Amino acid sequence: MDLHLSERHLRFRDELRAWLEKNVVRPWREELRDPTASEDSLIELRRAWQKKLHAGGYLGLDWPKEWGGRGATAVEKSIFEAELVRADAPPILNFLGLSLLGPALIHHGSEEQRRRFIPPMLSADEIWCQGFSEPGAGSDLASLKTAARLEGDEFVVNGQKVWTTYGPWADWIFVLARTDAKNRYGGISFILVELRTPGVTVRPLRQITGESEFGEVFFEDARVPRANLVGQIGEGWKIAMTVLAYERGATALAYSTRYSRDLAALAHACREVGRTGPAVREKLARLVVENEVMRANGVRMLANLADGKIPGPEASMEKLFWSEFDKRFRDTAIDLLGPGGLLLRSCSEARPEVDWAREFLWSRAETIFSGSSEVQRNILAKRALSLPQEG
Amino acid sequence: MRFELSDDQRLLRDSARDFLAAEFPLEETQRVVEHDPRGFDPAAWARLGEMGYLGLTLPAEVGGQQLGAVELAIVLEEMGRACVPGPYLDVALAAALLAAAGGRERLLAEIASGKAIVTIARQDAAFAGEAPCGIETANGKLRGRKYFVPFAAEAQALLVTTPGGVYRTDAPFAVTPLPTLDPTQRFARVDFDHVAERMAAADVVAGLEPLAAAAAAAMLLGVMSRAFEITLDYVKTRQAFGRPIGSFQALQHRLADALLRVESTRSAVYRAAWCLDNADPDAALAAASAKAYAGDAARLVCGESIQMHGGIGFTWELGLHFFLKRAKTLESHYGSTEVQLERALAAAGL
Repeated sequence: MDLHLSERHLRFRDELRAWLEKNVVRPWREELRDPTASEDSLIELRRAWQKKLHAGGYLGLDWPKEWGGRGATAVEKSIFEAELVRADAPPILNFLGLSLLGPALIHHGSEEQRRRFIPPMLSADEIWCQGFSEPGAGSDLASLKTAARLEGDEFVVNGQKVWTTYGPWADWIFVLARTDAKNRYGGISFILVELRTPGVTVRPLRQITGESEFGEVFFEDARVPRANLVGQIGEGWKIAMTVLAYERGATALAYSTRYSRDLAALAHACREVGRTGPAVREKLARLVVENEVMRANGVRMLANLADGKIPGPEASMEKLFWSEFDKRFRDTAIDLLGPGGLLLRSCSEARPEVDWAREFLWSRAETIFSGSSEVQRNILAKRALSLPQEG
Repeated sequence: MRFELSDDQRLLRDSARDFLAAEFPLEETQRVVEHDPRGFDPAAWARLGEMGYLGLTLPAEVGGQQLGAVELAIVLEEMGRACVPGPYLDVALAAALLAAAGGRERLLAEIASGKAIVTIARQDAAFAGEAPCGIETANGKLRGRKYFVPFAAEAQALLVTTPGGVYRTDAPFAVTPLPTLDPTQRFARVDFDHVAERMAAADVVAGLEPLAAAAAAAMLLGVMSRAFEITLDYVKTRQAFGRPIGSFQALQHRLADALLRVESTRSAVYRAAWCLDNADPDAALAAASAKAYAGDAARLVCGESIQMHGGIGFTWELGLHFFLKRAKTLESHYGSTEVQLERALAAAGL
């Protein structure tokens, strides 16, 4: 066992930390509290932030050098994610493009596609959203029905996608579409669609938080050039699954870093409002303990990455742990703060350190998206425990 | 960076697992705890000494192996897996206290070889929150009472904590057995009126709390891992409604949660042990968190193990009860969950 970061990783972390100190002008939580901020102004702020990161050489870290990368390892990617959290930097605007589409193009796209799409993706001049989920295909994603019919040099796309993050601000969408109704997995293709295409309509989807960072995208005879197909026809499922695997481990340290910060904020708020009794302390302590265990899981995952091991079912354990923890954490936070914990950010009486009401609501999304807790448990039962499958 | 055990550590784990499986099968444990009033077999204890497990972290001069907290965790995990009856954890902690105090080479050598059993007497009351029964020293004599002294009837010497420091006293002791739900762990009330030698300041015990927490958590890890494995095998073969019960999603999801708890405990235990070996500033927080989490996790996993076995899980004969009982005992001692929660908050600066 050796849990020390190597010299190289320490150097990377320290340089990045110094760069962030210089470049994160105002913590993200303060930007959110700014009364002059609007949804649109925050998007523009994030676009500018992403350009800054790109100029600093911190995007596409593990991509080939010709696409702006620096040949970084998975360990450096994890350090990067954790340091962004630590610095309370604005979230990266084009994260779906960078985390999913970028690797898909690098590993499965054509040279022409890479040259056309990667530079504006890095510079945030073209924002991408993800078209995977459908009203009838959530956890059972492979039952998706949005169809792409090949007519000459064009696909004709019909159907509906939902839960498209940043749909309302995006320029392009990468879509999993059915090209063969009879072949469940092999009948799915990976297609890039410009949202301005005639026949494509984006509608904001109002969430339980009242915000609309998700959208619905409708396709009615939308005609898309065949050149926008990534990989071969019928390879969409395979591409999507391999791309999702590249991201595993990237958040090994990010969540516990974030929760340490928010737990310290909660403890501070409790002290300020005079909540210091043993019942309060026990609740806080249980959260601290769970977060430390999450950190230990993260350190183990990071060490395994450094050791050249690609996370398998550990990724499901990580998702299950942090998302279920976050629900308990945000729930307890409101209990500890009392009715004031329910106040909206826009209310001047609300606690300044964290938007507790919004976090409580948002945590309800986390055990659903990116593979619900039930899907993660199914994966663990099958792949990690080899339990006999039904029927 | 590397989380996996080194080749030497793996060898230690494999040989401990093989040795303990041969030496302490559950049937043998059933027999010993029912027929031997001492609660363990001294001959088997001596063989633990021969294998080097009793002096694992002690210096070579006293016959020890000079290994660290990670290696101690490895052996404790295996002791937990086998649910070995006897004072292994208690003696390891007493040895660490003696070693931290300095000197006492002869007693340490006897511990390492298995000739002497020494444990720590530290509980001042039977129930949490009860007023301490009081222990004091005057003119080289130790007077008073301690509760839940591990294996006091078999101990050659006890290390007794008092507000003024740690004292060593030698057998014989006035022992009143305190039989608990766990027959593999023997406790007693001890009434002292003994000549005693002051061997360390009170803060030496406090300094060893993180090691005690990590060590108990390592044993809890072994206890829950084995109960989990037995259960996993069972649900794959046990048939009900015409199919193996492990194919029911109602069980699969709970088993997935149990796996998450077992593996998370593993991460927490070995990270804590590594932090202790490397004087890492996170050691106290990591150790308190590991013990608090492991206590909850082990009770839950061992409880699920009995539940998923159904009626047979509730029988004395099957032996699953030993895991639940050890889990609950370890959870209550070596700094209970409540104590560890307080320590974790303090260590986190909250």
